[in-house]
Amino acid sequence: MMRVLRTIPYTLIRMSRDYITLLLLLVVPIILITIFYFVLGDMKNQYGDLAFYDTAQLMTLVFQLFGGSIVIAYIQDDLFSARRQRILVAPMSLPLYALSISLCGMFFSIFLGFLLVLFTGVGLNVEWGNVFWVMYIIALLAVLSSLVSLILIFSVKNIKLAERLSDVYGIGCVVLAGLFFPIPDYPVITFINEYLNPLLLAANAISYAQSNLFSDAYIYMFRLGIGIVITFIIVYVLGRRKI
Amino acid sequence: MIASLNGIVKRYDSKLVLDYIDLEINEGQIIGLLGPNGAGKSTLIRCLTGMETVNQGNVTLFGDGKKPFQNKNKEKIGLVTQEISIFPELTAKENANFFAGVYGLKGEERKRRVAEALAFVGLAEQTKGKAQNFSGGMQRRLNIACSLVHNPKLLIMDEPTVGIDTQSRNHILQAVKQLQSKGTTILYTTHYMEEVEAIASEVVILDKGQIITKGTVQELIQNIQHEEKIKVEVSHPEEVSLANIQALPDVKQVIKDGNQILIVTSANSGHLDRILTIIKEDSGVVGINVEKPNLEDVFLTLTGRTLRDGGSV
Ligand SMILES: Nc1ncnc2c1ncn2[C@@H]1O[C@H](COP(=O)(O)OP(=O)(O)O)[C@@H](O)[C@H]1O
Ligand SMILES: [Mg+2]
Repeated sequence: MMRVLRTIPYTLIRMSRDYITLLLLLVVPIILITIFYFVLGDMKNQYGDLAFYDTAQLMTLVFQLFGGSIVIAYIQDDLFSARRQRILVAPMSLPLYALSISLCGMFFSIFLGFLLVLFTGVGLNVEWGNVFWVMYIIALLAVLSSLVSLILIFSVKNIKLAERLSDVYGIGCVVLAGLFFPIPDYPVITFINEYLNPLLLAANAISYAQSNLFSDAYIYMFRLGIGIVITFIIVYVLGRRKI
Repeated sequence: MIASLNGIVKRYDSKLVLDYIDLEINEGQIIGLLGPNGAGKSTLIRCLTGMETVNQGNVTLFGDGKKPFQNKNKEKIGLVTQEISIFPELTAKENANFFAGVYGLKGEERKRRVAEALAFVGLAEQTKGKAQNFSGGMQRRLNIACSLVHNPKLLIMDEPTVGIDTQSRNHILQAVKQLQSKGTTILYTTHYMEEVEAIASEVVILDKGQIITKGTVQELIQNIQHEEKIKVEVSHPEEVSLANIQALPDVKQVIKDGNQILIVTSANSGHLDRILTIIKEDSGVVGINVEKPNLEDVFLTLTGRTLRDGGSV
């Protein structure tokens, strides 16, 4: 246990030096959000708030959907490549180590989300409402994406395929939410967006809280939470078999 | 006794990879595990370290045959993996520190051991360099340092010199000798017989999952001392009739290896003349060489193949 704990600083150092991830999950969203800041300007949404606020918030959440790629990369590198042998001969528990790098990945993803909230909130004056609530929801979203990624790693053989599928998860959520192009109002899609699409669950949880409609905010948070419980159970069952 | 394998059988699906392996590793030895690619060396190591379950047989580590792979025993083992298995994003020092922590070293001792291990492999000057910027040879050496930080009693090295320059290779062989003199027991696998000849106190030759012979280098060579190896370099290897040479009495092996014909005969059989006559019927003779046997010949005599997978009968 202590030994696994001692590896954590090094896992975090590795993540902080992972420049491609930093580029994709931090620099790119900052650039995109900044572009929208100038494009949308003073445009208002139907409630009379700045349209840019909604966009900035959604973008911040969207990139959390892709945070699971961090966990995929680290599980692959440490548990399914040459390094696996070293970890296996070492006197420490492999499942615990797998848990620790997964938690580090989630933490890192949440941290990047925090930086985006900070940038949009302080730099671009986006009104987020209660920052603790926002970070809590972002954390749930990041954990869910990481769990989905873990399910993918454990259930498909090919790691490249797992990575692609996790992209599909992210892009799928975005498309269903109607952010790329308007999505027709089929009952199925409405149902998915209302109960399953983590992106909209998180967005709703945040926006209801902003309007002080906490009972509604709690409902969406609760649905996210259920998603986490279910995916966690699947990860646990699959992980026991694979690790 | 440091470790032993008793009657180990390992299959992948139906493929038999280790076929009743018995092996004892005693304190202070450098065991040279020699075998061509695919012989089962890495699999043997995985079974010995508990990474892989075996189909039959049992493993004893440090006298413990009941729970050989408990952490108490794992702490005393260092493994240098065949493929480089360090963290490319971390510096040399951070890499060594990671493993020092995993093996339970703390505080001053951890610092000291990390510095010692890096100095030992000649990376004292590059402790702050990131592993991903290192040359292949330096990465190999860091790979070794990471297995040494915790001062293992048993160091297992899986082809640690593959793909590096002669200088780094000699450095590594020197280091292995030095470790032995400090009391470390070493299991060294390779398919280069020169390395085994240079360092091993006992040689184990593995082929197709079986231990085909073991002993000191001297013993193994003496066993085939009654043989002679004649190497004839020819101008048209494809034309030479191997069957005619093989038909001579006392000729044990005839192998074509590039434009060389290797012939193993009983010592003093006086065949050189006849062999040359046969070859000259079909091809020019460019050079000729009668060699003292070495480990390569031990392998050749026992299997009819060369270690480098090159020639075949
Ligand atoms: N995980 C595995 N699954 C199936 N076959 C394997 C596996 N690992 C090794 N083998 C087979 O076992 C044989 C021995 O491999 P290995 O132990 O790597 O040999 P060496 O290290 O001596 O080159 C090879 O034929 C290889 O194809
Ligand atoms: Mg091997």
